[in-house]
Amino acid sequence: MSVSELIRWIVSLLLKPYVFAPIFFPGIATAFILILLLIWLERKIAAKVQLRYGPLYVSKRFGGILQLVADLLRYLFQEPIIPKNADKIVFILGPILLFGTAYIPTALIPVSGSFVPFRSEVSLLVVIALLSISPLFDLVIGWASNNKFSLIGGLREGYIIVSYEIPLFISTIAIAMLYGTLDLVEIAGQNKWGVLLNPIAALVFLIVTYMSTARFPFEIAEAESEIVMGPYTEYSGILYGLTMGASYVKMYVLSLLFTILFLGGWNPVFWPFTLHPILPGLIMLAKALVVMVIGIFLRAVYPRYRIDHALSIGWKLLLTLSFLAVCYSLLITYLQVVVWV
Amino acid sequence: MLQPTHYIPTGGGMGVISAVEGHVRALLTGLKYLVTKPRITILYPEQAEELPQGYRGMPVYHKDKCISCSLCANICPANAMKMVKIGKKKYPSINYNRCIFCGFCVDICPAGALEYSPVHDYASYNLEELEFSPEKFAEGPPEPPFKPEILRIETDEEVGLKYVHPKS
Amino acid sequence: MSERILELYIGPQHPGSGHMRFHIKVDGDIIVEAQPNIGYVHRAVEKIAETKKYIQIIPLVERPSLADTANPNLCYILALEKLLGVEPPERASYLRVLLAEMNRIHSHFYGIGILGIMLGSSTAFMWGFADREILIDLCQLLTGARITYSYIIPGGVRRDMPKSFVERALKALRYIEKRLKDYDNLFIENPVTKARLEGVGVLKKKDAIRLGVVGPNLRASGVRYDVRKNTPYCVYDKLDFDMVVLKEGDSYARLRARVLEIKESIKIIRQILKEIPEGPILAENYYKMIPPKWKDYYSSTGILKFPAIFARLKPSPGEAVARVEGGRGEFFFYVISDGTDKPYRLRMVSPSYRNVILFSHLLKGHRIADIPAIYGSLDYFPPGADR
Repeated sequence: MSVSELIRWIVSLLLKPYVFAPIFFPGIATAFILILLLIWLERKIAAKVQLRYGPLYVSKRFGGILQLVADLLRYLFQEPIIPKNADKIVFILGPILLFGTAYIPTALIPVSGSFVPFRSEVSLLVVIALLSISPLFDLVIGWASNNKFSLIGGLREGYIIVSYEIPLFISTIAIAMLYGTLDLVEIAGQNKWGVLLNPIAALVFLIVTYMSTARFPFEIAEAESEIVMGPYTEYSGILYGLTMGASYVKMYVLSLLFTILFLGGWNPVFWPFTLHPILPGLIMLAKALVVMVIGIFLRAVYPRYRIDHALSIGWKLLLTLSFLAVCYSLLITYLQVVVWV
Repeated sequence: MLQPTHYIPTGGGMGVISAVEGHVRALLTGLKYLVTKPRITILYPEQAEELPQGYRGMPVYHKDKCISCSLCANICPANAMKMVKIGKKKYPSINYNRCIFCGFCVDICPAGALEYSPVHDYASYNLEELEFSPEKFAEGPPEPPFKPEILRIETDEEVGLKYVHPKS
Repeated sequence: MSERILELYIGPQHPGSGHMRFHIKVDGDIIVEAQPNIGYVHRAVEKIAETKKYIQIIPLVERPSLADTANPNLCYILALEKLLGVEPPERASYLRVLLAEMNRIHSHFYGIGILGIMLGSSTAFMWGFADREILIDLCQLLTGARITYSYIIPGGVRRDMPKSFVERALKALRYIEKRLKDYDNLFIENPVTKARLEGVGVLKKKDAIRLGVVGPNLRASGVRYDVRKNTPYCVYDKLDFDMVVLKEGDSYARLRARVLEIKESIKIIRQILKEIPEGPILAENYYKMIPPKWKDYYSSTGILKFPAIFARLKPSPGEAVARVEGGRGEFFFYVISDGTDKPYRLRMVSPSYRNVILFSHLLKGHRIADIPAIYGSLDYFPPGADR
């Protein structure tokens, strides 16, 4: 094989869906750039509500948008300090796996009808199952740090994980019943807006998104004025940067799922988005961005809940609402009302 | 297992309608401030506020009017002013590490040799530079290395503080 | 397993503890025992006061309780004037009350802001501190400094009101009334805030009286006690305002008590600006010691020069006591003089010092997440307690 043929083979390999999607779009590279953008946007939105400027000086003409790049560089060059009595291997691997397993579900999320890395008939179930791997590492970090505040924070996160997983499953089943299939490509291909079909399930899914990714008012595991930084207390350097970014990656994945299930996915597709199968993904990304921006706007409005309030919301309010969503879906399917939209 | 002493409201402790109304009102207020209100801060050091007449900044010393009565050194609460003998008379030296900008020395000087100035943000790299001898004290407060844009503050009913360019 | 009780030190290096330390023992999430450990910022104010002349103590006593600086200043001067035997003129008393009430408003905004950040609402924190700026700007116009005014001197005050003051003050008060509605919508009536603060840290009426609590914490538990009404000083007996008393005694009542006190202070300031009489601002026997050319300076700029006697004030031997209602509670000063120009003993009791006992009393039986809620609602200021 000559050199040009080798290069062409490598490029075609990179453009294959199962390599391009997890690495570039909507995988790790997009998630990374989105984290930088979202944290900057969070600080700017909170600053505007609070009558001040927010980050401004790093790249003054662009409104300080490179502030996060400066922060990331700072984290990269900072010395990661490992406490003496901490469990060293777990301490170092914990944030890496926390960040790494958070975006595994993007391997199954399609960005258009034909561009999906891994097609499966039960891809919705697989995504939900993969979403539950990442939060376990918060517990692991909390134990490995050998710090009482980290332990308390990790245990709080453990309680919250259990309380939001069940409403998440049940509301997903409620909306999947209305689509009639568990395959994400077909769900989005049906071109129906789930928010109008079953608004109760949409509300439950939205609140669960904010609860699982520590958006205010549910920022309980890392409640700064009570338990320093929760499980992330002892971290510094790039390990701390990874823990900060992990919850934003989770929110990104859940927003993509919300877009497919409830906001119509990548529809409507019009020219020029039909040029290449990957371009409808930009429409989907824009819709997911709306969901994420609402989530980060909540920081400027709410204080944080106590752990028992959050648990009672999870077990009492969300569980009841998700059962109601299932009953509503059954009613609609029985009455065969679903012909419009 | 201990039980907490206080009653834990279960989210319905407020009534569902009033809770939803509270949430909606909070979100709408946040949205109103995100979209409509101007910022209340200024970009110091490119912009600075115009300080009013009589603002208690670094005192200015006029050596020719001084009558060496030592009242300023007697009254200084922080012992920042000390009288230094130059020739036959005594003159005050000031140590800005200790000065608390209370203005007692300016207010008690019977000859008017000390005056207020609006300089309040002088800084230096080491402690010795902040101890001014009487000659350095008489030179006046140091010039800043840049000139900020001066804005006047006006109290406003809608937005609190409004910054305007002073008409000179 | 005897390790059920976990011992935590919420110490000075903690984002939610201020300059103090808590030793708490937790069983799961419930606090079994809580002890405050104070003294990290003790600077021996009372001992230093024995080495300084009487006029030099004025900046010393206003620095321990930082957000509320005019009230300890006023309290010390009231005690000193009893020893010196001078009475301030009426315009000076009105100006003193004006500064004290403006100080009370921005001290309460500080308290609301600190409660907000401890609960997690950074918006309430930034808004509280931004609205303080409106008032600090007014105080800067009146006194020349932003927070540590040193404005009240024996016999009167240091400066007169400038000409543009009344109009700016009325605009500022109208702005604050409008802003309080936005605070209600976003922070105080927020369901999350109510869920965090209602029923938390209930202080019953007889406990409040037994423990000697002062300030809005006392009045939010149903006790009708305010030094401005019970033993009025300056011109408070001529002004018309209500005492803010609430009966629930939990943290939410303490927050609401502070907001209602801001509204009462706005009423008082409006009355003062309308009713303030013309006249001198320094007592006559000090005013006549000022040289005549400085009297012209005073009538043109409003800045008064000190008479030279202030550098060597010698009150008659004896002791004097004064009490003043500050923003956080009651200040108490006790001055003993022995005829020289430095006091023999100065005793200063600040409201935060009286409220420390509430930490070990209220925190028992609550969750860890209630520590910031109770701390912020008490408006406890560690440098004020340690002095």
